[in-house]
Amino acid sequence: MTTAGGKKIWWLLSAVLLTALSLLLPPDAAAASLQIGGGIAWWVWVVLLFVFSFFLGIVSVLAGVGGGVLFVPIVSSFFPFHLDFVRGAGLLVALSGALSAGPSLLRKGLADLKLSLPLSLIGSISSVAGAIVGLTMSADSVQLLLGIAIIVIAAIMIKGGKSGYPVVDEQDVIARALGISGSYYEPSIEKSIDWKVHRTPVGLVLFFFIGFIGGMFGMGAGWANVPVLNLLMGAPLKISVATSGLVLSMNGAAAAWIYMYKGAVLPLIAVPAVGGVMLGSKIGAKILSKVNTNSVRIIVIVMMVIAGLRSITKGIGL
Amino acid sequence: MSNSTESNKPEIDRVQLVYASVLDVVSTAGMAMIAAGFLAYVLQLLPLTVSIEDIASHWHLRSGEMNSILSVPSGWSWVRDPLHGDVLSFVSIVFLSMAAMICLITVIPVFLSEKNRAYALIAILQVLVLAAAVAGLASGGN
Repeated sequence: MTTAGGKKIWWLLSAVLLTALSLLLPPDAAAASLQIGGGIAWWVWVVLLFVFSFFLGIVSVLAGVGGGVLFVPIVSSFFPFHLDFVRGAGLLVALSGALSAGPSLLRKGLADLKLSLPLSLIGSISSVAGAIVGLTMSADSVQLLLGIAIIVIAAIMIKGGKSGYPVVDEQDVIARALGISGSYYEPSIEKSIDWKVHRTPVGLVLFFFIGFIGGMFGMGAGWANVPVLNLLMGAPLKISVATSGLVLSMNGAAAAWIYMYKGAVLPLIAVPAVGGVMLGSKIGAKILSKVNTNSVRIIVIVMMVIAGLRSITKGIGL
Repeated sequence: MSNSTESNKPEIDRVQLVYASVLDVVSTAGMAMIAAGFLAYVLQLLPLTVSIEDIASHWHLRSGEMNSILSVPSGWSWVRDPLHGDVLSFVSIVFLSMAAMICLITVIPVFLSEKNRAYALIAILQVLVLAAAVAGLASGGN
């Protein structure tokens, strides 16, 4: 590791640690302190949101999680915006990331349209249902459930395994009928990898529930899509990660419209969040090879647990 | 690994390449619109339907409560009066949210030309679900 690279990593880890430490502050402390004395100009919050989203974009790439899953619990705890607007922005954050990465991943054969379409059809129906339910429930109930969901996701991330090239002996009836299989070029071994999937019916059922949760909490669902595609259905890890984004671009769009009709998408909040996360993701992708991603992943999981606990306490009014 | 062979790079499905090309154009245009719309909004290059200060003083409320006080752009309400900074910024988000639907509509004829009726049907159903969301059928509309 070069000295310059080492310095960059220390700066990055310091930023992550500072963010994690800030999560230990009492609920709404940041918002309260800035509102004392006649309030803070709106642009300060917008700039802070952009800067926060920028760092979130870096960290989410290094930790291998979608920005949306961190964005909603943390922004809803530390910024003065109502959870409705944070969820609306969270969906757009997840959607934009998936859309911008999509063309390149599709051309490389990593994101697979035929694998994604049946799953996104089920997922988009349930994500609409999830968004309707989420906007109907009381904010406290959503905040409480969000906290529980974030802690469960952190547990999945701790426990979750992954398989580069799962073995699929025989396809199920649906996968065979739809011809869900493919091949892609793996540059690290200079070979073409052929792949196919199985257990599609169970995968469809799980994608229904994942879509519902994503729509309800305004989060991306890569944390769940990838394990289901990879560990359950047997798609290679790279195919799973890339195709998860494709599914998300359709599910997120369907749910986002529910939020837009309910007036829960404010450009003043959504656009700085989308811009910050997308710029941060590009930086994250550039420094990915120089950073110990396992350390960042552990810090992110700790941040998620703290943000989840914060959401729970906020939800029950403590 | 299900199987691996030493061969040239595999050919990518034609439908997938069409989808990628359309997505490339739509997502790039969407991002440019988002940036331009937001600048027009915050720099107030055009008049606003609701002032930024009003939004900021109500963004702690539930979306329903804010909408009962302020008339922020939502759904297709902006069509009535589009030439406002905040409305243009909202329209750019609307466009980005329709990207997947636009891509799907363009690949349905490709599926049909390949006589892949199963995927043509799945794509049509997916477009219908997205169109129902876009039309506000699931959310009551406005």
